[in-house]
Amino acid sequence: MNRRLPRAVALYAVAGLLVSVWAFPVLWALLTSFKTERDVLAYPPLLVFTPTLANYRDVLWGPASILPNLWSSMVVSVGATVLTMLFAVPAAYALARLRYPGKRASGFYVLATQMLPPVGLIIPYYLVLQRVGGLDTYSGLVAIYLTFSLPFAIWLMVSYFEDLPYEMEEAALLDRAGRLRALWYVILPQVRGGIAVTTVFVFLNAWNEFMFAVVLGGNKVRPVTVAMFNFISVEQTQWARLAAGAMVAMAPVIIVGLLAQRHIVKGLTVGAVKGGGRR
Amino acid sequence: MNSKKQGNVRLSGVVKRHGETTVLHGVDLEIRAGEFFVLLGPSGSGKTTTLRILAGLEQVSEGQVLMDDVDVTGAEPGERDVAMVFQSYALYPHMTVAENIGFPLKMVGTPREQIDKAVQDAAARVSIGHLLARRPGQLSGGQQQRVALARAIVRQPKLFLLDEPLSNLDAKLRLETRLELKQLQRSLGVTTVYVTHDQEEAMTLADRVAVFMDGRIVQIATPRDIYSRPAQVSVAGFIGTPPMNLVPASWQGDTVVLDGVAHPVGATTAQARDVVLGVRPGELRAGQSGTPARVEYVEELGDHCIVDLKAGGQRMKLKADGAARLGEGATTSLSFSPNAAHIFDRASGERLN
Repeated sequence: MNRRLPRAVALYAVAGLLVSVWAFPVLWALLTSFKTERDVLAYPPLLVFTPTLANYRDVLWGPASILPNLWSSMVVSVGATVLTMLFAVPAAYALARLRYPGKRASGFYVLATQMLPPVGLIIPYYLVLQRVGGLDTYSGLVAIYLTFSLPFAIWLMVSYFEDLPYEMEEAALLDRAGRLRALWYVILPQVRGGIAVTTVFVFLNAWNEFMFAVVLGGNKVRPVTVAMFNFISVEQTQWARLAAGAMVAMAPVIIVGLLAQRHIVKGLTVGAVKGGGRR
Repeated sequence: MNSKKQGNVRLSGVVKRHGETTVLHGVDLEIRAGEFFVLLGPSGSGKTTTLRILAGLEQVSEGQVLMDDVDVTGAEPGERDVAMVFQSYALYPHMTVAENIGFPLKMVGTPREQIDKAVQDAAARVSIGHLLARRPGQLSGGQQQRVALARAIVRQPKLFLLDEPLSNLDAKLRLETRLELKQLQRSLGVTTVYVTHDQEEAMTLADRVAVFMDGRIVQIATPRDIYSRPAQVSVAGFIGTPPMNLVPASWQGDTVVLDGVAHPVGATTAQARDVVLGVRPGELRAGQSGTPARVEYVEELGDHCIVDLKAGGQRMKLKADGAARLGEGATTSLSFSPNAAHIFDRASGERLN
């Protein structure tokens, strides 16, 4: 009767398959987090088991609590995000709009920093931080995060600014707003979506970062990604606690993602399809 | 809302270069206070650049811009007390109509109650008082255009700049708005500079017109003068629908010889010379005497008709009232009255009579 039905079924099947590739590890970790360590290792894997909250109790309030590490992650991520956006928004605006000598070169530099493999930077960063006393400090780790989040954020924001018609700013200038108030009253409200998307990406990158944190952090500054690593030791891997820790660490990410979902989807499409307005 | 300010403008020797290309080659212009002044020219002729220089959105490469005898050449757009209506209107999409109109006042710290009152006054003047709570995205093109106008008039500036403000409207609305614009400018008495490539708009709106060609002003005059005495062959060809017939001829004594037939003109030359003869289609007569021609096409346009003719290898257009009396393929002779002839130098294009 409906010729489109088989197509729809096939489409859902393919989509389901793709989603499950992403969802399976997460779901498996979720199940694991409610199992005892014994159940985790059972073979064949148990799909029916008596769920326990013991792992969550342990990772939150036990001797190996990850709460201080969540705080660490929060300080580093929020700090890096706020500073990044504070610098990236004006910088992106300048790159998109102003004419100044060396504009092309600075634009290329921003992109070039994105091409460096981070692993090649770890040792230089370590030496620099050691020299200035920045190892195992919040300011040290935030400064390092800025080195890759700032170029990324600038690069992302530039396309949003470039999509705005020049006339809008010129109208604001003629309306006696001046550059800064034109930016504040006219330009920024129109790139809200872009700012939201960029903020979320920068925050998530900082929150999920592991390599720099493990090398440049320490006992005082130990983000949750590093702390979870402690559940893996030479003697044993505490899979259930690791899974519970991962679930807890993922919660802020999921909350931020859900809050910003509308902007992200819109933002991604705006970035993809360049509108008119350019001359 | 009559402005106490003066609003006369002078450009002297303005040159604008973009890298290697020169967009304006020394523009001199004087606009009187309260005048409706139109910058007319084909695209790329430099008229919009001139307007943007007046606004302060472009810097001059050479020359001076004076407003009320004050040098504003280097002044920022916001320091010049000018308001502009952009071709794209450039409304702020995240603000309501009322916020859009009130924005220029908010930027100079006008008290809230005064802004509200001024916004309502300005909106009423362009008949959009009922739309104040909407956003630009919810308005039609014509309504958006009125919001842009209201935003310009709300602050009672010294100078209005309008960049092809009617070009995005449909034909019927354009005619209506054109008339309203003229009335609005009259009632406000604010000096207005208006850019258009549409000669009909220029003719109907302007007190005076500056015709731009290739980065130069070729004529500044009233619409009537530009039509009846174009200073350059390029102006003659640009103004008028259909455009003036321009054909090579030779000027001898008090006649112009066209295809071997001498036509008396109201001017005398001491020695014979090669010229371009211009005759408006409406001034051309088909009859018994004159330059022989053959009818190629006839376009019937209701109250008048346009007849395309060929005379000695030259295409000519003749405009006549009522229905065509000549059929396609018919032969006739073309003539014109002596004072309908426009004579231009063949080499320089300058008017000679």
